[in-house]
Amino acid sequence: MIELTGVSKSFNGQVILDNVNLKVAAGEILVILGESGTGKSVLLKHMIGLIRPDAGEVKIEGKNIAHHTERQLLKLRKDIGFVFQEGALYDFMNCYDNIAFPLREHTKLKEKEISDKIGKVLTLLDLKKVEAKMPAELSGGMKKRVALARAIVLDSKILFCDEPTSGLDPIRSRDISNLIRDISRQLHCTTVITSHNVRNALRVADRIILIAKGRIVFDGKGDEFRGSDKEEIQEFLV
Amino acid sequence: MKTLIHSLTGFIKGTGDALWFLGDVVLGNILCFRVRIGEVLKQIYEQGVQSVVIISLTALASGVVLALQGYAAISRFGAKEVVPLMVGLTLVRELGPVFAALVFSGKAGARITAELGTMNVNDQIVATRTMGVDPVEFLVVPRFLATVLVLPILTILAEIIGIAGGYFIGVYEAHVPGQFYLNLTFEAIRWVDFFSGFIKVFFFSFFIAWICCYQGYTTRGGSLGVGRFTTKAVAYSYITIIISNAFLTKFILTLWG
Repeated sequence: MIELTGVSKSFNGQVILDNVNLKVAAGEILVILGESGTGKSVLLKHMIGLIRPDAGEVKIEGKNIAHHTERQLLKLRKDIGFVFQEGALYDFMNCYDNIAFPLREHTKLKEKEISDKIGKVLTLLDLKKVEAKMPAELSGGMKKRVALARAIVLDSKILFCDEPTSGLDPIRSRDISNLIRDISRQLHCTTVITSHNVRNALRVADRIILIAKGRIVFDGKGDEFRGSDKEEIQEFLV
Repeated sequence: MKTLIHSLTGFIKGTGDALWFLGDVVLGNILCFRVRIGEVLKQIYEQGVQSVVIISLTALASGVVLALQGYAAISRFGAKEVVPLMVGLTLVRELGPVFAALVFSGKAGARITAELGTMNVNDQIVATRTMGVDPVEFLVVPRFLATVLVLPILTILAEIIGIAGGYFIGVYEAHVPGQFYLNLTFEAIRWVDFFSGFIKVFFFSFFIAWICCYQGYTTRGGSLGVGRFTTKAVAYSYITIIISNAFLTKFILTLWG
């Protein structure tokens, strides 16, 4: 589904990703763990073509997107949902219009059908009475739920979440993690999440990778992660 | 020497980026008919209609001051009838377009930069790309086109209101008969005078749209960055309007007299 081969990236001479190789299978939930500034978000942004690699290939469903034009990437991204750290909802639209935006852009659905579809997504995410609210009126957790609703409203095959639990208290953080896992399972979508929260990663992930100094230093299941005696992982678990 | 080379490189790169951005807006979108009419109309309302009051007040005050100063100076030579001509021509050829452009860039231009800048620092522009929508088409082109379309209309309004301001001073302060004042004004202003000012406005509106959209679209550095880029956008717009006005005036005078 997603395949990165020999991906390297530097910014101003500083190596952020160094020959990264990674495969994500269809329907899998992968969590990218790492300390702040280790290149988790950069890796995620390579997968959606927001950043181009200095070297290597990034394949989505067999197509190398590393040399796609922006127009080609825009087409490709219709099938991908992306949840930003702070939600990145349009602050000039209410929640309903924010969620309806991808439907209005990429489908020919009538307003009634859009309304029905949004109703279903809101029920799925247990969001009540938020349609008329502006993003500024929402709490951090609610903003992330609405952002998740916007990301999945087109029945995306791939879901990317960039630090979806950052800035939330442990309970909200757990809820959002569980929600992402449940949604991914229900929609059978391939999900990649960046995080520095081990507890949530273990709760959600089918597979975990740990990034340090631009390289993948661990790639395996949650149990293997817990049981590993690698120094980098022990530091993380402590 | 190093600083000079660094500044020069930065300037060349900045200009190149700004030209590339303009190419994307005009060639990549507007000329390919990637224009969202609904969004353009929304921006016309937000930029145009909401700038009417401030531009009208500025124009009215300009007309009043021009007439007051004109009468104070010219009545010494007993040539009061020259004043309607002076007020009309100055407003139509010079002050109307320049004042409208300056006020518009300070209000609507600053708003464009602040809006796009805030969206940029809050990841809304990147989010637009991740949803498979071109942010230039969705967010920039409507603001760009609205600016280019609205400022000329506001300028005509400013000129009419400015002349009205002069008229009130002429009639109620200098006691010139109203019909006489209007006849002198309309006789004085020829089409060539109107168009020589009006052409400038298209250049000004184009520069304001380009500068303010580009500064907003490239804003970095959180809320401080929004403030810095907005100030920069207004300052660059003012400088561009004033300098380009000098060149355009010379060019137009050489062409039409």
